[in-house]
Amino acid sequence: MADKILTGIPVATGIAIGKAFFINRNHKAHLPRHTVAASQMDEETGRLHDAFAAVETELSAIREQVPAELKDYGLLIDTHILMLKDPKLAGVADEYIKTLGLNAAWALEKAVSDQEIAFGAVHDPYIRERMQDVRVVADKVQAKLIGRETDLSAISGRAIIMAHDLTPADTVEIQVSKIMGFATVRGGKTSHTGIMARSLGIPALVGVDMLEDFVHDGDLVVIDGLTGKIVVNPTESELEDYNERAAFFEDYTRKIKRGCQLPAETFDGSRVQVLANIELVEEVASALDNGGEGVGLYRTEYANLNRTDLPSEDELAEKYIDLAAILSPRKVVFRTLDLGADKFISAFGELNETNPAMGLRAIRFCLRNPQLFKTQLRAILRASAYGNVSLMFPMISGVKEVRQAKAWLAQAKAELRREGVEYNPDMPVGIMIELPSAVMIAEFLAHEVDFFSIGTNDLIQYSIGVDRTNHHVSYLYQPLHPATLRTIKLVVDAAHQAGIEVSLCGEVASDPFCVPILLGMGIDSLSLTPQAIPGIKRIIRQTNMHDCRKLLRKVLECRTVSRINGLVMDNIFKYFPDEVTFFSSLLENDEAPS
Amino acid sequence: MTETNEGMDAEQGDFLSREVVVSNEHGLHARPAGKLAQRAQGFTARIRIVHDEHEVDAKSILEVLTLAAGPGDVLEIRAMGDDAAQAVEALERLFHKRFDE
Repeated sequence: MADKILTGIPVATGIAIGKAFFINRNHKAHLPRHTVAASQMDEETGRLHDAFAAVETELSAIREQVPAELKDYGLLIDTHILMLKDPKLAGVADEYIKTLGLNAAWALEKAVSDQEIAFGAVHDPYIRERMQDVRVVADKVQAKLIGRETDLSAISGRAIIMAHDLTPADTVEIQVSKIMGFATVRGGKTSHTGIMARSLGIPALVGVDMLEDFVHDGDLVVIDGLTGKIVVNPTESELEDYNERAAFFEDYTRKIKRGCQLPAETFDGSRVQVLANIELVEEVASALDNGGEGVGLYRTEYANLNRTDLPSEDELAEKYIDLAAILSPRKVVFRTLDLGADKFISAFGELNETNPAMGLRAIRFCLRNPQLFKTQLRAILRASAYGNVSLMFPMISGVKEVRQAKAWLAQAKAELRREGVEYNPDMPVGIMIELPSAVMIAEFLAHEVDFFSIGTNDLIQYSIGVDRTNHHVSYLYQPLHPATLRTIKLVVDAAHQAGIEVSLCGEVASDPFCVPILLGMGIDSLSLTPQAIPGIKRIIRQTNMHDCRKLLRKVLECRTVSRINGLVMDNIFKYFPDEVTFFSSLLENDEAPS
Repeated sequence: MTETNEGMDAEQGDFLSREVVVSNEHGLHARPAGKLAQRAQGFTARIRIVHDEHEVDAKSILEVLTLAAGPGDVLEIRAMGDDAAQAVEALERLFHKRFDE
């Protein structure tokens, strides 16, 4: 048996085997503090300056390697280098050595404290946050001084980066070519770690409890981004298994990638649109590269996170226009702000709700804060001039909410018209179907909008009444629950009855076991994480509608999840043995833990 | 043409001075502050930026940041030393070009 098997939330798929390499950043707690004799002061200031110079040399070297497409990272490093050269850090620390006789690391800490006071007095929250950069820079110099540096350049091949949390600054400095995977204690599905890992094509897990307790530097670890497992110091035979699995997976990925630009068309000629879920403009490349035919879900929250003020309309419009322009003529569906629950905007503060999942979030939050809502609607409308933009409202519970949201949209349009700003008056407007109430009145809602997009993550959570991040009950979160499938079918049927299109953008869309059933229902498009597109397109291309409808009919007769699992397993096994090997774990959560 | 003033400061001696307006959308945040400090470091002149009662060293990104100058704020550039005139010119240009943002 391996020493320990930990679990986390997989945010990037793949399997990696390598040596654990911890990134430790804050040294403040165990900083040596002592005084130096007058005779040693020169030596101490020399050490200080050497440490600053060494970090500067390192950063400059990294700066040179930052690729052009990561321009923002490059500018961040420029800022760090300027801070290193700043008299307010090095100069003031130098003074503290000479006047107070402090050791170099302590003197620097005092200079940092001075900056904390200076920055603390600034009202502009954006500028106040730059204190984090001062901290990052000081940590590096202190690490050099006390000989505890996590020398990122010492990362040799096959390293798996372990951290409490990863910041954009960390990810810049890690020499990505040597990194096999990431694991962090903090972070959720949408964290920076995931975005970074997916763009590098390496596996990553976040939310790994006890990571720092059970994994040590140099431990041999396996990161399984398919099942969410970290295997610490595996046995010979476990290692062999994983090596084989990793090789298979690599082959499989290569194989499916080859055909990913082909249209998603079944044997018998049914065409499904396969689109990408993204949240950064930077992800467009990966979306198209993986065969995405456009963007079916653009999550717009990112611009509001990690900052304390609100983005201006111009700032948003610039981003949105970029996205529409890059994708044109392919379509892009903007989802209006889905804030609240686990994502807050600091400008509004936490709401302190006892049940945030059912609280003031998404469209409810926007309707409560019309100024914020209208700013975003205007920015989206400005991008709509490109002609390929659609918009959808999340968490709609009833007809009145759609009408309210559309009224704000109409007002935003009227304003732009008066101002002579160009926009697409016929921009398609849809809603997310995520609440059981919306499912039950789907036929009414269908008359209010141009399309539906089924958000299965929340829909399953609300219809089965289970929080899938709660490990006591997460086994109940079942995409293949008979109720889930009936729910989805109701929505698809209602949409088609009303003559509107229906898309599905939850994780179910990237689940190879579910997709044939969705095809059988006649879903018009699927929107999923870019990395999963090649696999799903392959499944679509190798199946035919006739079989999918047959499978659906049989599945709808099943009364239990295990019966359904059995059926889809048989189906997949017949046509797609590879998928069974890699994704069967998705079906494992059938029973309650004993 | 902006008017350049010559002034006299009890502590600093003779200096050249020019007023500029912050016209960046977000004011002097990290990138413009960085550009300002970087450009200022290219001169031997002592260069100060004055904002209301605050006066800081233009060569220090940290000091410039803590000025927290927002859009529309009026700042004064003061420079003294051999290349003071060139320094004032160069920095003023940065403000005019909105730091190329």
